[in-house]
Amino acid sequence: MLYFIVRRCVMLIPVLIGLTVVMFAIARLLPGDPVGLAAGPNATPEEIEALAREFGLDKPVWVQYANYAAGLLQGDLGTSLLTRRPVAADIAAYLPATLELVIAAMLFAVLIGIPLGLVTAVWRNRWPDYVSQVLAIGAISLPRFFLGLLLQLCFAMWLMWLPLGGRLPVIVIPPPSVTGFLTIDSLIAGDLETFGTALRHLAMPAIAMSLSPLATIMRMMRASTIEVMGQDYVMTARALGLPRNKIILKYVARNAVSATLTVIGLYFGWLLGGTVLVETVFDWPGLGLYATKAIISQDMMPVIGVALVIGLLFVAANLIIDLLYGVINPKVRYS
Amino acid sequence: MTPHTATGYSASFFMRNVYDPLVRVTGSPPEPVPALAESWSVSEDGMTYRFAINPSARFHSGSPVTPEDVIYSFKRALELAKGNSWMIRGIVTPEGISAPDAQTVEFSLAKPFAAFLQVLPWIFIVEKSAVEANLGEDMGQSWLLANTAGSGPFQVARSQVGTLYHLARAEEAWQAGGGNLDGVIWQIVRETATQRLMLQRGEAHVAVDLTSEDMESLEGAPGVVRVIEPEYRTFSIKMNTEHGPLQDINLRKAISHAVNYEAIRDSAGFAELMTGPLPTGILGHDPALDVPRMDLDKAREYMAKTDRPEGGFSLRMVHVSGLEQQRRWSLIMLDSLKQLGIDLEIQPLKWPDMVAACASPETFPDFFPVYQTANYGDPDNIAFAAYHSSRNGGWQNAVYNNPEVDALIEAGRAEIDPAKRAGIYGEFQRKVIEDAPDIFGVLELRKIGLRDSVENYEFTPVASNAVEAWPLSIG
Repeated sequence: MLYFIVRRCVMLIPVLIGLTVVMFAIARLLPGDPVGLAAGPNATPEEIEALAREFGLDKPVWVQYANYAAGLLQGDLGTSLLTRRPVAADIAAYLPATLELVIAAMLFAVLIGIPLGLVTAVWRNRWPDYVSQVLAIGAISLPRFFLGLLLQLCFAMWLMWLPLGGRLPVIVIPPPSVTGFLTIDSLIAGDLETFGTALRHLAMPAIAMSLSPLATIMRMMRASTIEVMGQDYVMTARALGLPRNKIILKYVARNAVSATLTVIGLYFGWLLGGTVLVETVFDWPGLGLYATKAIISQDMMPVIGVALVIGLLFVAANLIIDLLYGVINPKVRYS
Repeated sequence: MTPHTATGYSASFFMRNVYDPLVRVTGSPPEPVPALAESWSVSEDGMTYRFAINPSARFHSGSPVTPEDVIYSFKRALELAKGNSWMIRGIVTPEGISAPDAQTVEFSLAKPFAAFLQVLPWIFIVEKSAVEANLGEDMGQSWLLANTAGSGPFQVARSQVGTLYHLARAEEAWQAGGGNLDGVIWQIVRETATQRLMLQRGEAHVAVDLTSEDMESLEGAPGVVRVIEPEYRTFSIKMNTEHGPLQDINLRKAISHAVNYEAIRDSAGFAELMTGPLPTGILGHDPALDVPRMDLDKAREYMAKTDRPEGGFSLRMVHVSGLEQQRRWSLIMLDSLKQLGIDLEIQPLKWPDMVAACASPETFPDFFPVYQTANYGDPDNIAFAAYHSSRNGGWQNAVYNNPEVDALIEAGRAEIDPAKRAGIYGEFQRKVIEDAPDIFGVLELRKIGLRDSVENYEFTPVASNAVEAWPLSIG
């Protein structure tokens, strides 16, 4: 298994190199004048030139790439043209917020979606099935930002149960950063009140993000449960007179989950890349907001940095999922 | 957020509250009032300015603010040549600043500049010894990103880049008076609907970036005060006067008279129509200017003088992709041009691509919509940025150049007497209108929402979205 992990990690290297090459090529091919933009409307041509020199953008693109690659090996993701701040520091500041949101959304989707899928499969073609099918289709087809706005209107404006946005109220000083996840950090600091506040802030954006994966996981789980329930060994178990609940929980659920795991892995990456709209609506200070701002101004270093980090996380998530197959179904062999 | 290099309104908010300039501006129209300088005098020829530094002025470190710090800050701004330093370039020179005594700074300007007091609020004073001790390789720029060296009423309590700045009143803030705020939190909220909801729920006291739709739905909202004020921000559609069919002044005039201005204003929400190149209310603005209005007979008259009086050709307009407002304006142009038999090709572009298109008349489109904000409260700002030929190649004035207009702009900035200046700018406006380089669009009103507990808020049309927190109180 160790060999499997190492091989997967080694395979990652060409992927990442390819990613940087493609991003550099795009940066070169795109029209536009990011330096002129960063220098501001009142900059003289000399000032713009000086800025390009300062960032090495006056050099041929392969020299720029070589410099970037050399920096990358030392963990340097370059400097943002617009904010003049190191990209690595910015990503370190924004990433935990996005991860916290994505993981919370994923947890919510899995914890609700899997049991719901199981239930609807068992109660197939009866009312719980129909109700959840209709809801699932609704959840998939609603755009996330729109759902976010609806949730805000409902829970923040009318019911006043939840805060509008942000990770914490602005007047609350966040707990000392250990993991960067405010919920976990406040628990570590033993501050239950802040934990509750952080959780309440997390709730709406996480739900807005999770509904689409939740619905997909549910449908996937339902389909694979139905399939597994038709397998010979389930029939056999039934014929042997094993209790129905035991069959479902012990044999059926286990096997049905492996197929669903793939979907979860793919969705993790999809959520990471797609937080932008939800982060904007809920003013969640994460990577999505950071990346959009950079893309709009063609500030390539942050864009490449974010793409690399998301790529890495995506691969990592899928690796974990692959390993989980083995945990759930020991028959899976890694070779 | 480093003084002398940063621009943008988050940075402006930060610097206006953590650093002090020599003078501030307040009111509408903006009037210079004392900041670090408690008083000043101007020589008769407008070439020499003397500022008496307030003896009680202290940096956050506790050291007094001296003329030395002022001189250092101006020199640093000029040397770095970034941020707001363009406002004083060619006017203040390193040799021209001196300290005749321990409490006075004297500027001998390289050439007369009537807007000098108006630009001073944007040059912030840093503590020389603090910056000098941390120069690094970039004149202290990196150090100032994480540290401050100011004398403003607030200092940084907490900062999360791109998210929020929490400023606390400086322990021994030297500024007398002001409001009762112990601190101020500037939170960056991208979605304006969220800003509005926060204001309604009382989670925010001030929302600076609201849309017309937000303003409408805030009407009558309990506890909310709406501020809808004209500011020095113009919206116009620039035409390519140097390349393509619009080189023909008659065609430009025909189009200027074919445009449905009312539709442009209506689609802008809270806005008034421009009556010439300068915003309403600014020094020298002449409300009686004969600016083109929709008049199809006149449009056809001008059209008849062109090579192709029947139209039958196509022009190209770009706009920032995703900006709904600009898209609607493009459609109005399409509709207006149809009446002259001209087709309009509309092309949404990303802003960096639009900036790049300004590089030469050949790449500049026929129509280019643009907002222009005055950075300081003087007609020179917009006149120079938007119509002086030295700006050609940049997006503020990509192609338009007329030596007569240049001469008027230069005369306007060099003249000290306000009455004479008003005359010069009147002439300038008439000349520009005669050339018809732009479709003069609208002045969008600034839309700010306040909680009714906020006291002492005073609107000023310059940098109104970077609120100065010092005078404010919460009742």
